[in-house]
Amino acid sequence: MAKLFERRLIPADSSGAVASTTALGLLAAMAVTAIFFRYYGASPIEAYFGLFHEPFGTLRGFGYSLVRAAPLALVALGTIVSWRSGFYYLGFEGCFLVGAAAAGWLALSTAPGTRLGPLPLALFLPLAILFSLTAGGLWAGLVAFLRVRLGGNEVLISLMSNYVARFFLQYLVSGPLRAPGSLPETLLLPRGTWLPFILPGTRAHAGILIAVAAALFVWALLEKLPLGYELVVTGFNPAAARYAGIEVDRRMLFAGFFAGGLGALAGMVEVIGSQHRLMDGISGSMGFVGIIVALLSRLNPLAVVPVALVYGGMSVGADAMQRRASIPSSITFILESLAVLLVVASDFLRFYKPNFSALRLFKLRPSGREDSA
Amino acid sequence: MNEHAIVVSAFIVAWLSASLRLAGPVLLAALGETFAERSGILNVGIEGTILLGALASFLGSYRTGMIWTSLFLATLTGVVANFFLAWMYVSVRASQVVTGLVFNIFALGLATTVYRLVLSKSAAPESIAVFEPLRVPVISRIPLLGPVIFGQTAPFYLTLLLAVVAQFVLYRTHLGLALRATGENPAAADAAGISVHRMRYLGTLLSGAGAGMAGGYLVLAQVGLFRETIVAGQGFIALAIVIFGRWNPLKAALAALVFGACDALQLSLQIFGNRIPPQLLLALPYIVTILAISGLFGKAVPPAALMKPYVKD
Repeated sequence: MAKLFERRLIPADSSGAVASTTALGLLAAMAVTAIFFRYYGASPIEAYFGLFHEPFGTLRGFGYSLVRAAPLALVALGTIVSWRSGFYYLGFEGCFLVGAAAAGWLALSTAPGTRLGPLPLALFLPLAILFSLTAGGLWAGLVAFLRVRLGGNEVLISLMSNYVARFFLQYLVSGPLRAPGSLPETLLLPRGTWLPFILPGTRAHAGILIAVAAALFVWALLEKLPLGYELVVTGFNPAAARYAGIEVDRRMLFAGFFAGGLGALAGMVEVIGSQHRLMDGISGSMGFVGIIVALLSRLNPLAVVPVALVYGGMSVGADAMQRRASIPSSITFILESLAVLLVVASDFLRFYKPNFSALRLFKLRPSGREDSA
Repeated sequence: MNEHAIVVSAFIVAWLSASLRLAGPVLLAALGETFAERSGILNVGIEGTILLGALASFLGSYRTGMIWTSLFLATLTGVVANFFLAWMYVSVRASQVVTGLVFNIFALGLATTVYRLVLSKSAAPESIAVFEPLRVPVISRIPLLGPVIFGQTAPFYLTLLLAVVAQFVLYRTHLGLALRATGENPAAADAAGISVHRMRYLGTLLSGAGAGMAGGYLVLAQVGLFRETIVAGQGFIALAIVIFGRWNPLKAALAALVFGACDALQLSLQIFGNRIPPQLLLALPYIVTILAISGLFGKAVPPAALMKPYVKD
């Protein structure tokens, strides 16, 4: 019997082949998710229309999409900086929480009648950025230190550190920073510390501008600056980088610090832009979905903001669907993750080509192409 | 015995038996993962696989009331789910960390959606059929050790048995040798006539079986219900146990016990009342894991071809 898939002699790597396999992967993900929509009695076409109409067809929904996109984009940028430097950090959920805690704590201590007293936003915002960037940077930098100095596995250490950060935030909001009341959460942050709203009639805040600025900065760093070049070489081939005189350990420490800082900015943006108070579960898996955004952007910083907008928009659309048609919003997790998995899997078609004649029950003519392997 | 001694011994019995109880599922997942990693595959997807196994066993027990069938169903679910992962890791040669991590998010979405779908027509059940502690006659009444060692549930003893079997298969059979060779030097294994693809598929499927069964264990012998947060990083802890146990099933059993003890300490201290913030104790197992794999206690040497896709020339 002939094999269903035959190995191509040369992988198909023309841009047409890459684009068509990627499109095939995305379509397959949407097709599989459509099965779940059917189970909930929704027509897939209507469901997909609903999923994208709310975020991109209404001003209010678009504002919410920008709100969701900002932290996702920042986490994705952190992923790009660390992964392209060969530091496979997965602790952005933790960085997010650490950054949120740092910004929230700072904002609460500028409330009237506290230590610092009210600050103008022009002073508070740079201070908050610096503070949460440093906190998240040290949080992830510690993992980079363990990797560089002691040879610890950063993949597992960073995954574990997420849980430590979660319990730390739980402790803060149920202990020292807890507001009087039945819920474990802090007081509402002072109005003067909120990020300004940028689109009248929506909840869209300046966080998206921070994300765009960060994307341009990361792009310039990795593509235009010598430091970024050294980071990318370090990730590509540490031995060659060391031979070329690059201080690989220091570059990796920097990558960890900066990536953690970007992840922490995501938390800061969420807490002073959108939630305006600290509470348990504030990250809502954004530390992981942001990694997916980076992957679908193929680790290209300039693609991050548009992809984050699509993913943020999908979650807004899913929430609307859950309200209207009681289709659980967890369906978007399926769509979001399958999109990455199947786009990655579609590479298979670039290495192997399907041999449809193997599907036929009766051979029309002798194939003569059977191989012994 | 004075009152103080009674409290102390009650505390120790509660602590130790909870240690063993909590060590069970992570050990089961770690045993499977050992086979995957020995064949050269870092399967990060076991976290999601445990969740799928947990859901399968919950639904099985809810619908049929048969606990052993449900445990088998969980195992089978793990194998089927990991067939997809094995295809991604071995045939597509995708990045193992990326695939496993994204698969975990997929599993979270799938389990949550299916759970809501199945239970949308009826209210969540109050309770399902679960494994009860065995309480071996006579010896389970030995003071201290009796209730700790002989008062566990059936899946616990099954897990211990599987640890011994895993050790035997890995070090005393041709199959184990072939599997380990694949993870150390796939080109040499290939030259010796071992199918690298087949060994890696086998390793990944075994880790799926272990993780799926661990999910069943979690639901059927510990929690008794399903939540999408039920796994809470136990798959990742199992990955750490594999490293901590230096890719050896019996050492992994010891490592799992240490983790179980940390986890249980937190429970016992909460029961007996104290002023330590519960979050610190809850974070303890994760902190211990970080310390254990940070490289502070000697260097763990993984299988040489771990995470390296194999291309046959």
